[in-house]
Amino acid sequence: MSNKVAIIAANGGLFDAYKVFNIATAAAASEKEVQIFFTFDGLNLIHKQAMHALEMPAGKEHLTEGFEKANVPTIPQLVEMAQELGVKFIACQMTMDVMGLTKEDFVDGIEVGGAVTFLEYAKDASPTLTF
Amino acid sequence: MIKANLQLDAKGLACPMPIVKTKKAITDLEEGQVLEVQATDKGSKADLAAWASSVGHQYLGTVEEGDVFYHYIRKGSSEPEVEKTFEHTVSLNEIESRDGLILDVREEAEYAFGHIEGAKSIPLGELESRLEELNKEQEIYVVCRTGKRSDMAAQILAKNGFTKVYNVLPGMTEWNGKLTKEV
Repeated sequence: MSNKVAIIAANGGLFDAYKVFNIATAAAASEKEVQIFFTFDGLNLIHKQAMHALEMPAGKEHLTEGFEKANVPTIPQLVEMAQELGVKFIACQMTMDVMGLTKEDFVDGIEVGGAVTFLEYAKDASPTLTF
Repeated sequence: MIKANLQLDAKGLACPMPIVKTKKAITDLEEGQVLEVQATDKGSKADLAAWASSVGHQYLGTVEEGDVFYHYIRKGSSEPEVEKTFEHTVSLNEIESRDGLILDVREEAEYAFGHIEGAKSIPLGELESRLEELNKEQEIYVVCRTGKRSDMAAQILAKNGFTKVYNVLPGMTEWNGKLTKEV
């Protein structure tokens, strides 16, 4: 059985962020090696400013209260916890170039790489998940 | 109240926090010790059981009190299986028909979630200080989960002058008879 989990984060909303980081931290807590490849809007999830103000999907704004009531951790908290548990973040170089972003725009401790970097890691990962 | 070596308060926390906190807390325990996880997340029951089995710990069970779940997990061992050396053994399916005392040397929490009716509980770690509770004239059948702790317990008893001691093999993992619970 593979001990690696590979995740592609390609969308930048609040729901997307929870899906990515909940699965990632749960996997890391289960002693899996975890890498997340952030590409296109997924880069929001680790962007120093954007990660604090991720948007709810249109029409779901009323769920803000539900998030508070359920005492769900914030995205910056989940990001920190994921890194603490050893989850590796890889930002997509190509998307960064297109958007005019540099490594300094993102949380500390990330790596920057291309598609092949991720594919090499994911070739024997199970499962590979895309959000 | 079930006895645990460490309590973790994960009440009010949503998934995946109970699991993340449990992972951190269990590193502070020694192998074989029991962690109590207090949680209000309704998904924590299924999650903790799955987590424990995937990382090699033993999920003992859950008690619900009001809105709070009390989960019990025994830290797994990374040591290789040691050879059992106590020579007097008896098979699990024979002990019900025999006279004598069934001595369960698992942790109290393991005992609470299911033991053979009438069995007496003395965890292995407490055995040497509780020998006076046992009768040297009586046959004693020592049982644990897999036969490893009971092997050590039987040796402790023999060293202390108990002669009618048997290690029950394999152990509670293979027990298909009735289970008595104290939860």
